[in-house]
Amino acid sequence: MNCMLCSKLFQEYLDNTLSEELIHELNLHMEHCSRCRVFFRTYSLTVTLSRKVEQPCCPSEETMERLTALLCDKLCSLHGKRP
Amino acid sequence: MSKENKDLSDEILVGRIKKGDRDALEEIVKRYSQKIYNLALHVTRDAAAAEEIMQEVFLTILSKIHALTHDAYFSTWLYRVAMNAAYGYLRKERKYTEQTVSEDLENETAAEYDWSSLSDDILVSEESKDILRTSIDSLPDTMRMVVILKDVEGFKNEEISQALDLSVPAVKSRLHRGRLILRRALGDYFRRYSYSGAEE
Repeated sequence: MNCMLCSKLFQEYLDNTLSEELIHELNLHMEHCSRCRVFFRTYSLTVTLSRKVEQPCCPSEETMERLTALLCDKLCSLHGKRP
Repeated sequence: MSKENKDLSDEILVGRIKKGDRDALEEIVKRYSQKIYNLALHVTRDAAAAEEIMQEVFLTILSKIHALTHDAYFSTWLYRVAMNAAYGYLRKERKYTEQTVSEDLENETAAEYDWSSLSDDILVSEESKDILRTSIDSLPDTMRMVVILKDVEGFKNEEISQALDLSVPAVKSRLHRGRLILRRALGDYFRRYSYSGAEE
């Protein structure tokens, strides 16, 4: 396995979709290649840190109340009922 | 709202909405409004637009719900409608750009600097989160959406493929390239951080 192929397999590795054989080859390569080891660590850490980016703020309570009321009215009108 | 609705599957709730069940509709709105809002906000970076899109998405869903033949696929359909609405907004506002990334990322096989050994305090500092957030926001649109859906929101490749109308290989390719860009941005930041710390 070369460094280029190794780097292309990191995504599959993180998705747990690599075969045992390829995982073994990947690990074998990384044991001897410090560049790929560092690449893998920083690549997987980038994914981990992305998960820690905070969620955007919520829609306001007022917006949610207005939306729910609007949808319920529409549902009633679709079914010929009074809101 | 009926307490039992919380435990019902989307499929059952959608079936009930089709029959005019208001409680089922409220539960679906409660279950998905935050996610739709987040997606819209990530795409548009505008809170007012995100609220407008969220409303448009639920109104579209409600008016077309009778055409949904497989109720179990509701969430996939919902996200697809949300993506279309968000992209529609960008096109309308002429903010949509599908620029290509010219950097030769595929040849980037390793970082020279191993920032993975930095302490958690530095790695997850507010400043590093800001760098990451800004870098995600700067990605080309579809790449940004793939990264957000996968790495921030935790969707599966197949779900992203359906929501964005891309093949799974196209999703994987954009994801990988997006991660490489973010990794490079973080590497540059942490390298600067470490050097500035060493000079003090």
